[in-house]
Amino acid sequence: MKKLLLAFGFIGAILTTSFSQGKMVSGTVIASEGGFGLPGVTVVEKGTQNATFSDIDGKFALPVLGDSVTLVFSFIGYRSKEVSTSSIEPVNIQLDADVAGLEQVVVVGYGNQKRSKISGAVGTIDTKEITSLPVLRTEQALQGRAAGVQVTQNSGQPGSTQSIRIRGTGSLNNAEPLYVIDGIPSGGIDYLNPSDIESISILKDAASAAIYGARGGNGVVLITTKSGSKGEKPQVTYESYFGIQEPWKHMALLNAEEYAILMNESRSAAGLAPLAALGDPNALGEGFDWQDAIFQRAPMMNHSFSFTKGTKTTSTAVGGSYFTQDGIIGGEKGRFERYTFRINTRQDGGERFRMGQNVNFTHLNRSALAENNEFATPVGRALNMDPITTAQRPDGSYAYSEFIDSDIANPVNQIALNNDFWTTNRFVGSTFAEFDIHSNLTFRSTMSVDLALGSQRIFYPSYDLGIGPNDPNRPAYEFREVNSLVLGENKWSNWQWENTLNYAKQLKNGDDLQVIAGYSALNNMNTSFYGSRDSLASNDVLFAYLSNSMNNSEQTPTANGGISESAFIGQFIRVNYSLGEMWSLAGTVRRDGSSRFGVNNRYGIFPSLSAAYNLTELPWVSEKDWIDFLKVRASWGQNGNADGIGNFDYTSLIYNGLNYTFGSEQVQVNGAGPINTSNPDLKWETVEQTNIGLDADFYKGKLNIVADYFVKNTNDMLAVVPLPGVVGFLPSATNVASARNSGFEFMVNHRNQKGLVEFEVGGNISFIRNEVTDLGEGGQPISTGSVFGIGDLVSYTEIGQPMAYFYGYETAGIFQTDEEAAAYQALPNAQAGDIIFVDQNGDGTIDSDDKTVIGNPHPDFTYGFNASVNYKSFDFSLFCQGTYGNEILNGVFRYDLNTTNLPVEALERWTGEGTSDWYPRISHSDPNQNNRISDRFVEDGSFLRVKNVQLGYTLPERVMQRLQIGKCRVYVAASNLFTFTKYSGLDPEIGTRGTLEIGIDRGFYPAARSFMAGVNINF
Amino acid sequence: MKQQKTLFSIGFLAVLLVACKQEFLDITPLVGSTEANYYLTSEDAEAATIACYNNLQQEVTNIQGSAQLAAHFRWYFGDICSDDSFKGGSGDGDEPDLFLFENFQGNSSSRILLGEWQVAYRGIAYCNLALNNVPNIEMDLTDKSRFLGEAAFIRAYWYFNLVTMFGDVPLVLDNLSPSEYQQNRTPASEVWAQIEADLIAARESLPKRSAISVLEIGRATWGSATALLAKAHAYQGEWQTCHDLCMEIISSQEYFLAPNYANIFSEAGENGPGSIWEIQYMNASGGNWGNQLEGTFSNVWQRARGQFGGYGFNIPEQEFVDEFEDGDPRLAATVFQVGDQMGDRGTFTIEATGMPHFYYPKKFFINASDEAPFGDPNPNGYSNDRVIRYADILLFGAESAYHVGNEPLARQLTNMVRARARNSNSSILPNLDNNDTGPALLDAIYHERRVELGLEGHRFFDLVRQGRAAEKLATIGFTAGINEVFPIPEVEITLSGGLITQNNGY
Repeated sequence: MKKLLLAFGFIGAILTTSFSQGKMVSGTVIASEGGFGLPGVTVVEKGTQNATFSDIDGKFALPVLGDSVTLVFSFIGYRSKEVSTSSIEPVNIQLDADVAGLEQVVVVGYGNQKRSKISGAVGTIDTKEITSLPVLRTEQALQGRAAGVQVTQNSGQPGSTQSIRIRGTGSLNNAEPLYVIDGIPSGGIDYLNPSDIESISILKDAASAAIYGARGGNGVVLITTKSGSKGEKPQVTYESYFGIQEPWKHMALLNAEEYAILMNESRSAAGLAPLAALGDPNALGEGFDWQDAIFQRAPMMNHSFSFTKGTKTTSTAVGGSYFTQDGIIGGEKGRFERYTFRINTRQDGGERFRMGQNVNFTHLNRSALAENNEFATPVGRALNMDPITTAQRPDGSYAYSEFIDSDIANPVNQIALNNDFWTTNRFVGSTFAEFDIHSNLTFRSTMSVDLALGSQRIFYPSYDLGIGPNDPNRPAYEFREVNSLVLGENKWSNWQWENTLNYAKQLKNGDDLQVIAGYSALNNMNTSFYGSRDSLASNDVLFAYLSNSMNNSEQTPTANGGISESAFIGQFIRVNYSLGEMWSLAGTVRRDGSSRFGVNNRYGIFPSLSAAYNLTELPWVSEKDWIDFLKVRASWGQNGNADGIGNFDYTSLIYNGLNYTFGSEQVQVNGAGPINTSNPDLKWETVEQTNIGLDADFYKGKLNIVADYFVKNTNDMLAVVPLPGVVGFLPSATNVASARNSGFEFMVNHRNQKGLVEFEVGGNISFIRNEVTDLGEGGQPISTGSVFGIGDLVSYTEIGQPMAYFYGYETAGIFQTDEEAAAYQALPNAQAGDIIFVDQNGDGTIDSDDKTVIGNPHPDFTYGFNASVNYKSFDFSLFCQGTYGNEILNGVFRYDLNTTNLPVEALERWTGEGTSDWYPRISHSDPNQNNRISDRFVEDGSFLRVKNVQLGYTLPERVMQRLQIGKCRVYVAASNLFTFTKYSGLDPEIGTRGTLEIGIDRGFYPAARSFMAGVNINF
Repeated sequence: MKQQKTLFSIGFLAVLLVACKQEFLDITPLVGSTEANYYLTSEDAEAATIACYNNLQQEVTNIQGSAQLAAHFRWYFGDICSDDSFKGGSGDGDEPDLFLFENFQGNSSSRILLGEWQVAYRGIAYCNLALNNVPNIEMDLTDKSRFLGEAAFIRAYWYFNLVTMFGDVPLVLDNLSPSEYQQNRTPASEVWAQIEADLIAARESLPKRSAISVLEIGRATWGSATALLAKAHAYQGEWQTCHDLCMEIISSQEYFLAPNYANIFSEAGENGPGSIWEIQYMNASGGNWGNQLEGTFSNVWQRARGQFGGYGFNIPEQEFVDEFEDGDPRLAATVFQVGDQMGDRGTFTIEATGMPHFYYPKKFFINASDEAPFGDPNPNGYSNDRVIRYADILLFGAESAYHVGNEPLARQLTNMVRARARNSNSSILPNLDNNDTGPALLDAIYHERRVELGLEGHRFFDLVRQGRAAEKLATIGFTAGINEVFPIPEVEITLSGGLITQNNGY
């Protein structure tokens, strides 16, 4: 954070007027604790722009204008100080360390603000937390660190995305926040090297995000990369770690003997004879463990270097990194590689002109395995495969299962055959120029581009798992006669041009006024081309190119492609006004237009207001010396969520194929017309949020508390609502629905020092309640979340309930006798051992009207806590994160197939009166549909995970001096070391698949547990 | 300094204004058209017109408000809800909504009605699109006029169906914007007036059948519009206008009666000499359940169950069979009786069908050898739906002649129909003569309609318009003052925000 202030401090240097005359004030600035001279302290003559910096020894000299002047000394990490002097004698100034970080500058949209002045709800992630821990992806740096921010992996596979929800799910459509990296809005942050990051701010309330108008509705994540600072000595940093990842859990499944017993029982219940191969269960023993077969240990590695240097008028930061991670499934078949290179530079062009450039290039390689569905993923298949079949036959060939139908194919063979590669080359760059029109007024113009080129290459080799060439028993899904290839090229190019005018003035009465006004123009363009062919001459992926096809018929090559474009325009103004130290007021208005909005609503206006009141100076506070700082905040604002809208959703595309047949020859003639309604009124979803909060520091900043309460109403939410038939066309999404997220967030941090032991503990917790409040005319609920093994849609969104809650039948135990079953006429096919489904409406039948709430995927609360201890050269840190009260729908098993393997719980099935009151009898025919969607598939998804634990050692200075190295720290760390959960699946941390499919486990690719050793060296 | 600042501010504002020009946000898709960049060329105009026709084929469709496909045929209401046929199917529980309607106990939650309503308005929406957009296209004026005439005709056809099914219905003549989605019902008289206006416009711009090429057979013609207009006046009891229009068609010599009645319903009889308005189907478009394309479901729906592989709907009633005069060959062309050969599918026996019905409908029967060459044959029947035949117009001519006091002409026109049916067999179907006069003549014309147009979807609507429904259908539950129209679908009432009211008695 220090560098940041320096970076912005240089603005102050520019303000030094060259025509000053009068006397000279000089002196030395020293740290009150330690007594050393502080270099780089900004010294300003109050009420003027007359300023200078202290030199390396803390000495300064400033020609002042007045006779008796007040000097303001400020330096990041220290509390500012005002000193009045009329002396020509050198003055000695002591600055106190800002333990609580009140002077800390927080990046907010289009500017910075002191933490003590912030009136909205802005979460910040300490750079230290990003850089000292081996963070694989930038999103992980957010996980558990900021209250109200829920980060969930969508898969444990390397390179997979994470879903981020800031203050709950605020949309039925796109609920991901807006990412802004160095001022450039970006669709994702996977291209960043976490080590390049200087700071992360999370704009949580509407007032903070209002400056991003129509795109800020889901919150904004602001990332600033390192750019070095003026006057900084050359500094070279090298960071590296190596790690080994491993699966941390196997699901407990039936072994071969148990499987055979249950299958025989299941067949017998349906009147079928036992299979000969399962005739003697005892002889089958443990069988084959498919989870062992697909999981493996996998390495990962990171190298990252950076170089920063400043001169009087320039600063430069250069960074490069290489990261590679193999998957715990498939190893290199699931490999993710990231190469990054970045140069950030700043130059002064005279006293009133500054410019800067950011250039980032990232190369990503990803080899991906299918994940998170119940049809064709290695995890799903390994869990469902029978334990009798082995992955390979004694001769080494891959085997097929004789017992399982349909799409449960050999997952080990699948991994071996997998060739699905993504390569992305991404160039993100920006350049800005800044010009002081007047000492109070600065103009800044920034042009940025974001160009991503993505190539996909999928090769499907031919294969045959049959025994010999014409094995009659070989299932149809265990061979592929003709190989084929798909190649795709995508280009995303965005440019943005932003111009701002910034007016800052300290008024005579000590009040501060800051106004920023600007406009922003943004254009996104996406083009794509895909081609495919079959019958390639070679079955080796190395030779998989379209031209190597032997099939020259005109039918088989396919090619398609397209182009899509969108544009945004924004105009905005923000006024910050500080009344002395007591009040901080802010107001923002942004007017945003987008080509995605319907012609009747091309522009939206997004206002916000916020205020903070600093209670510290009030007598009842100031007399309590244990209170350092106390501030209350309130904010209100409206944002939009425009990113859930497709480029041409407002219009209806013309569909060809509305044909009719004419003539004696019955010729089909093409007809064309729209299918869906156009919606010229289509617009952003409006997110209105009210926030009240409190920031407090106690005991000389050793204890910090931040608390917030918010109510966030999303109105105009897009939903597809049935239309009156007279409209004639199918409905498209309209701005009709509403949802509410309300909640409470609390953060506490304590740091202290006892002798040589420095320690810090902190935590955060957020309680969020999500509720759908309107779904438009008729309030038709929305069904989502198809789970094939259960054969139904399991998620339901309706008014008065949280989004995408689990919807199904309530069970009430097991019929213990046939008489009991017969007496329950609502289930006419039930017999002893079948499940009792509850007849909710009492109409005497069990049908879809009897479905009810069976689970909630949203946690009651999420939390994170960390602890760190430094002792001499040793440092230790621990970071844990968890959720409580959320439920998971376990849709792992393909009950629809009868013969898949089952969890060990199946051993507790009903086998006779009194044997089980929760697991039904097993039957191939299942006449009672015991496996229909019901509460028996809903499990507690609460978990507590030790995300990171780390022990570091900094080598002693004398060693370093001998090696001529500035600083060297070595560490060992573990990620996901322990996970405490009752959930039976492979991983309780399950993200989303689409906004309205939350917490459904279809054979989730679990996160790995990893052990790492690393080194950080500063030269 | 000040000047510089001013200059800069001006420059800044200029940049701001340039960048905020509206065009920056006006982006049109380069792949795929939208409404905004369609309807520009004559090809677009033709495709927009064909889209109007497309919806005529939709019988078993996805509809809003129901997760299941909705089946709705003209003969569901015209035949099954009359004294001509029973529902059939596998039992009362097969299309249970229809079973209720057949007994005049149907209710507004039926998805059959929802299908009828939604498909009609979907068709109207495509017509409105064409009627609103084609006029602005620069193109050959003859073609333009014809396209507009076709769209107007099809719109009138849909409104004709709606007003006869439901009475007062919302009259939608433009493509609605969201604020207009909730519509009131328009009095039937105004709907009729619009039907007439559309048909008059269509009549003026559509070519005569004799003027179109064989490649265009199936397109609406002057005759289609004039015939539907004549029917519209007949349904309103405006007999003089109806009469004039019928005579105009007859005297135009555009149509004549095919010599062999039975041939009309064969594949060879499609678009025959008496075909005035016929919805076209074919069996080779690869349609499927939920995406019907160009095939019809009527063939499989009306075929006997069991070994004949049909669904066994639209079972002729004894009373209907009894209506045929002795020896009338039209009975054998309309109804299969036990012992008849069902084409190449075998002999009709009760055992072979597995159902206790003695009759099956014949007009939609197709041979197994004529089924779809590929794909699922059930959604891919080929039989066209003969909506308006020349015989229909001759009988409207007769009925209207009677009402305007020209009994000789009424007899003459009826006798033309009887003569064709007789097909040179002088021992059957004697001509009406001067003894057939007054109410007896009207009954004779009614009788002729019933047997000539049997199981073609007319009977229920004829009985209602003739004021005889209460008399003829009382035994199966018809209540005068209520059952003349069907209930408005409940979903549509809800979605209209209550603007649409329910029909009396439902």
